Amino acid sequence: MQSYIQNTSDLPPELCAKPLALVGVSGLDTLNNAVHKSIWETFSNNRRADRSPVFFKLISNAHEFPVIKPKRNSYDWYIPKGILKRNWMNKHLYEIPAVIVIFYDLDWNDSLWNEKMIECASRVQSLRAALEGRNTRIAVVLIQNTLPLPPGEDVLASDRAVSLCASCELNASSLFVLPHGDHLQGYAVRLESAFYEFAQSYYHNEIKTIRSHKEHLNKSSHQYLFVRHQFKMGFLYELKQDVHTAHKHYTHAYNYLLEIRVVDTNALEIRTVAGFINYKLCKLMFALNLPRDAISQFKAHIDRFKNRMGFHELSFEHYAWLSKQFSVFGDIFDEAVKLGLPAVQTQHPGIYYQQAAQYAILRKKSCQELCSNIIALPQPHPLEGANSMEFYGQRPWRPGKLSAEPPDPQLESNGIQAIQYLEKQFAHSNAIVSLYGLAISQYKTYRCPRTRRHLVLQMAEEYYNSHDFGKALTLLTHMLWDFRAENWWLLLTDILEKAIRCAYLTASVQDYVLLSLEILGKYSKLSVEQKKRIHENLQRILKRQIPFGDQKLTPDVLQHAVIQWQPKLQTEPIHLSLDLGNVSTCIETKATFMQAKYEVDQNVTVEVYIKCSSPLPLTFTKVSVTINTPSYNCEYAVDNQNLSSNSLEFGSDETKRFVIDFVPDSNDVNSEIQIGAINLVMGNASETNLDLKFSPQNGPNRVCPELLHFKYSPHKLNFDNISPRTATLIIPRHSKLEIGLEYAIPALLGEWFAIKIAINNEELHDIKDMRVEVALSKDETISLTEFSTNSSGVPEKLPLVVKLPPTLRQGEKCSGCFYLRAHKVVENHIEVKISYTLDREKPVVSIKTETIIVPVVKPFEISTKFQSSLMEEIGQFYVGEEVGVMCSVRCLSPWPLIIENTSFEFTSPCKSTENSIVSHLANTRLEDKEVGVELFLAVCEKSSDSNVTVGQYMVKWRRENGLSTTSQLTIIGHTCHWIPLELKMSVPAHGFVRTPLLIDYHLHNRSRQLLQLDVAMEGSEAFMYAGYKQFSVSVLPESVKSIQYNLYPLIAGSVALPKLVLTLPENSGEVPGLRQEQLKSLVERCLPTHLYVMPQVKGAPQLPGLVKPRRLAKIK
Amino acid sequence: MAVCVAIVGKDNSPKYFCCLNPDEELSFQYKVLSSLDVIEEKLNAGNKGTNDLRELYLGMLYSLETHKIYGYVTNTKIKFVIVVDSTNMALRDNEIRSMFRKLHSEYADIVCNPFYIPGESICSKSFDVSVKNIMTGTV
Repeated sequence: MQSYIQNTSDLPPELCAKPLALVGVSGLDTLNNAVHKSIWETFSNNRRADRSPVFFKLISNAHEFPVIKPKRNSYDWYIPKGILKRNWMNKHLYEIPAVIVIFYDLDWNDSLWNEKMIECASRVQSLRAALEGRNTRIAVVLIQNTLPLPPGEDVLASDRAVSLCASCELNASSLFVLPHGDHLQGYAVRLESAFYEFAQSYYHNEIKTIRSHKEHLNKSSHQYLFVRHQFKMGFLYELKQDVHTAHKHYTHAYNYLLEIRVVDTNALEIRTVAGFINYKLCKLMFALNLPRDAISQFKAHIDRFKNRMGFHELSFEHYAWLSKQFSVFGDIFDEAVKLGLPAVQTQHPGIYYQQAAQYAILRKKSCQELCSNIIALPQPHPLEGANSMEFYGQRPWRPGKLSAEPPDPQLESNGIQAIQYLEKQFAHSNAIVSLYGLAISQYKTYRCPRTRRHLVLQMAEEYYNSHDFGKALTLLTHMLWDFRAENWWLLLTDILEKAIRCAYLTASVQDYVLLSLEILGKYSKLSVEQKKRIHENLQRILKRQIPFGDQKLTPDVLQHAVIQWQPKLQTEPIHLSLDLGNVSTCIETKATFMQAKYEVDQNVTVEVYIKCSSPLPLTFTKVSVTINTPSYNCEYAVDNQNLSSNSLEFGSDETKRFVIDFVPDSNDVNSEIQIGAINLVMGNASETNLDLKFSPQNGPNRVCPELLHFKYSPHKLNFDNISPRTATLIIPRHSKLEIGLEYAIPALLGEWFAIKIAINNEELHDIKDMRVEVALSKDETISLTEFSTNSSGVPEKLPLVVKLPPTLRQGEKCSGCFYLRAHKVVENHIEVKISYTLDREKPVVSIKTETIIVPVVKPFEISTKFQSSLMEEIGQFYVGEEVGVMCSVRCLSPWPLIIENTSFEFTSPCKSTENSIVSHLANTRLEDKEVGVELFLAVCEKSSDSNVTVGQYMVKWRRENGLSTTSQLTIIGHTCHWIPLELKMSVPAHGFVRTPLLIDYHLHNRSRQLLQLDVAMEGSEAFMYAGYKQFSVSVLPESVKSIQYNLYPLIAGSVALPKLVLTLPENSGEVPGLRQEQLKSLVERCLPTHLYVMPQVKGAPQLPGLVKPRRLAKIK
Repeated sequence: MAVCVAIVGKDNSPKYFCCLNPDEELSFQYKVLSSLDVIEEKLNAGNKGTNDLRELYLGMLYSLETHKIYGYVTNTKIKFVIVVDSTNMALRDNEIRSMFRKLHSEYADIVCNPFYIPGESICSKSFDVSVKNIMTGTV
C-alpha cells in the first residue's frame, strides 16, 4: 500500500520497457537436454543491438494464453470505463507472442520418421488449439544432427518436408531446419530475422484490426476509445519497430485525450494517461533526432497541465506528478545525450532535474500543510486493490465511474484521508536530495559552476530541513571558499549563518570557532546584535562553557544540541589548531621583513601587523611568526615582557604592530628565508587553546591593490597599504678587509706572470683562519693556464692556496705573491677569495672576493727565411749546398724585452757549417715592434721530398726585471734535392781596372759516373779574358775539375762578369739526376754575376793576394 | 520596469546591487550569480568567433518562471545584469538595450570620480538615485 502514491505519478515499467517483438519458443527442454539448452542460450543471450529486435520467451506445453475476448460487432451500447487498461501493454509485451516456434528433434533419415512426424503434428495442433482465435504465427524448427545437403539434391528431405508441412497444416515457408553443429550462432541469427519478419506481419494485422474499429465509434460516447485505440496502434507500431508511424499515432492519442472534458472524477486518469503518452512521444522524438520538438512538446504538455490542480486536498499529488514529469524528461534527455545528442549550457537535462526538485519541494510543502493532522488510515481501507485496478489512473474507491454524478462524499473523504496519510509517510527529503544530486552533476558537465553551487546550497538546505545537520554543514563549508573567492559577501553571510547553526547543532567545536571568527569579520553582513551573540558564544567556548543556541531554533532541537555539546567541553582542555590561510576572518595579519637582504651577523627584523575587524574586543595570548629556511622551520614569538599587559587585546577595528628580532643561522648564508605563517593563540592551555595560523598574505583579492593607498584611513597604521615582503635573503657579511693586487697586464704568453697580494686588516677585530684561494672563475681556460705559488715554475692544482700567515692582527698587513703562466692567448678571469673568521665572542665567517682579468698576449713573433750562398732567398734545398737560416724576432710586447740568449740546435739531416754557433742577439733589448735578426749557416746532407726539419730555435728572454723564460720554436725548411754536380767559383772580392785577376770555376762530380759537360764562356764588354772560350769537359767520378780564366777588367763599377754556360752534350748518355734546367739553376744560384771593379790604383797593385778569398773551400 | 540591477566586476565579484524590494536581495543575488555562468560561457565562445566587438549586449541569459535575466558586458569585462519580471511584457529587447546603455554611462561617470577606487564596490547616493530612475524608467 505504501507504493500507492508512487504508482499514480510513476511510470509503470511496461511503459518504459523498450518494445520488442515477442517470439514464443516451445519444445525446448532446457533443463534436461544439453543440446536444447545451448540452442536456447544462443537465442536468448547476448542480445546486442545488431541483432533483430525480438524478445524470446520459453513456453511450456501446458502454457495458457490470455483468453481472447469475444468479438464485438457493434459499439453502440458500449460505454468504456477507462482509457488505458492496466494489463494491455504487459499482455502484448510478454504474454501474447507474435510468433510461436516449435523446436523438434527430427532428422530427415530418422528411422521412426512417420511416428515422429505425427508427434510433431500433434504438438502443432495442440498449440494452435491453445491459441484459439489468435493470429499468432506458428513456425516449426527441426533440430537435426546431420548437416543438410544443398537444396534440391536431397530428394528424401524435400519429400518428407512436404509431407510434414501437410500433416502440420503449415505453410512450407514456416518450416526451418537447424543443424546442431558448428555454426549455431550464424543459424540462430538467420532464423531470428525470419521470425522477426513473421512478427512484423503479425503486428501489422493486429493494427489493421484495431484500425477497423474506428468506423464503429462515435465522438460523443467513445472519446476514451479513440485515445485507447490510437495508443494501442502506436504501441503496436513500436513493437513493429516503425517509430515514425508510432509517433504519429501517439500524437493522435494525445490530441484525442485533450479533447476529453475534464471533471473531478477523471482528472487523475487523464493526467496519468497524458503523462504516459507524453513520455512515449518525447522518447520517440529523441529517437527520431528531433530534440527541439521533444522539448517543445514537453513544455506544452507541462503548460497545459500545470494549473490543473485537481482536488486542493490532494495538491501534493499534482506536484508529485509534475516533479515526476520533469525528472522523467530529464532521464530521457540524459539518455539521448549519452547516445550522442549534443546539449548546450542553456538546454540540458540538469534544468529538468532542477525543476523536478523544485516541484518535489512544493510537494513536500503542500504535504506538510495538508497532511499534518492525519494520524491514521480510515477503515475500511479505501485504497484496497489499487494495484489490481483495471485501468490506469483511477481512484480505487470508485473504479470505472464515468458518469458525472456526484460521488459519495463520505467515501471520497475517506479516500483522500488515506492518500494524505500515505503521503505523510513518504521520505520527501531523500527524493529532493537525489534530484538535486542529478541536477548538480549535469550542471557540472555543462560548465555552470555557480549555478551548481547554488544547487548545492539548496541541497544543503534540504539536508538541514531533514535534520541531517552534519551533511548540511559539510556541503555549506565546501561552498564557502568559492563565494569568498568572488567576494559575494551577502551570499557568504547567508551561508555562514546557516553553517554556524549546523555547527552548533552538531556540536562541532572546530567548525563553530572557525565560522564565528569569520562571522565576526567585516565582510559578513550580519547585524551587530547577532555578531554580539556569536562573540559571546566564542568567549564561552574559550572558557569551556556551552554556547547559547539561536533563538529561532525549536526547543527540542536545541536540547538535542546541548546534549551533544556537553561531553565535548567537559572532559579535557580543548586544543585546536586552525589554518585560517584562505579564510577571511575578523583578524587580518600581515608580516614583512624590514629589508630585502640581511647580512649574516645582523639581526633579522620582522614586522607583524594585526588588524581586528570584530566589532567586539578580542584578546590573544601569544603572537609569533614561523620562519621557513631551507634547512628548518622555527617559530619566533613576540616577547611578552616588552609588551604592556593589554597590548594583545584588540578593540574594534584596531591595528597593532609588533616587531620580532632574531639572529639568522650562519648555515642560511646565500639562501632565502621566508615567513611561513603568522600564529596567534587565543585562550589558555588549561581551558581552550586556539592556535590560529595565518598565511603571510591573505585577505580578499583586490582588483587594483596599487590604488588602495588612496583610500581614506582614519588610523595611523594603514593596514591596507602595507605590502608585505615575505622573503628575504641572508647574505654573507660585508668584509672590511682591504686587498691590494699588483700586477702588470697584459701577461705574456709562456712567462710566469706575477700577481702580488697585499692584505690590510681594517676590521675591528683580529682575524684568524685566513685562507687565500685563487681560482679561475671561467672554466674554459682552466687547462690552458698554470698556476704556481713560487717562481720556481712547478705548476700547482687549482684552487691555489697562497701561503700567507693564518692570523692577522687588527691593522696588520701582509702580502704574498702567486704566479700564472698562460699557454694560449685568452683572457683569464681570476678570482681571489679570502675567507677568515673574526676572532671575537661570536666568531663570524667572512668572505671577501676579488676578481681580476688578465689578458694574455704574445711577447714576440719569430719568422725564418732561407738564403743561398749568394744571399738570395730560396725555396729549395740541395744536398751539400750551404744554406743560410735567417731568424728574425719581432717584439710584440708593450713592455721592453731583454733577449738573454738565443741558440739554434740543428737536427739531422741538417747540420751547422760554422765552427761554433754564436748568438748575435744575446743581451739585446727590444722595444715594441723592433726586430732582431741573426743568421746561421747550415747544410743539408740528405735529400727529402717533404719539408725537412732544420732544427730548434730557442730564445731565452725576460722582461726588464722579470723572470727569464725560454721560448722554443721548431724551424721547418724546404724539400731537399740531390744533384750530381757541385759548382763553385773562386773570385777576388774586387778587382782593379786594367789589372788582371784570376777566377777559378770548380766542378765537383759527386756521383760515381763520368760527367761530360760542354762549357762555354760568353763574351763581355767589361772584360778581356784569357781561357777557353768553348770546350768540352769530362769530370771523373768523385773528383773536381777546375777551370781558370784570367780577367782583365776594362771599366770600373759593379760590372757583370762573363757568363759561364754549362750544357749537357747532345750525344752523351743520360746522366742520372741532372738535366739542362737544373744545370741552369745551379749556375744561377752558385755563381756570382757581378764583380766590383775599382778604378786603377796608383803604384803597383798586389795581385791577387790583395783580398782574401771569402769562405771558399780549399780547392785541391 | 526592472526589478533588480547588478554590476559585477571583471573578477566576478559584485560591485553594485540594487533591488526594488530590498527583502528579495538575497534571492536575486543567487539568480545573478547563476547567470554569470552563462555570461562567462558567452564570453569564452565570443573569443573564438568573429563577434562584433562593439556589441556589448548579450541578450537574455535566463528565462525563469518568474523572472527574465539580461546581460551586458563592457570591453573591460564589467558585467551588467538586469532582472525583469516575467509578466512584464512592456519591456522589449530595445528597451532593455537602452537601459543597459544608460547604466553603462552612469557607471562610466562613477569610475571617473577621483574618489572612487576601481575595484571597490560602488557606494554613492547619486548613483543609487540614477539607477533607481533607470529601473523605473523615469529617465
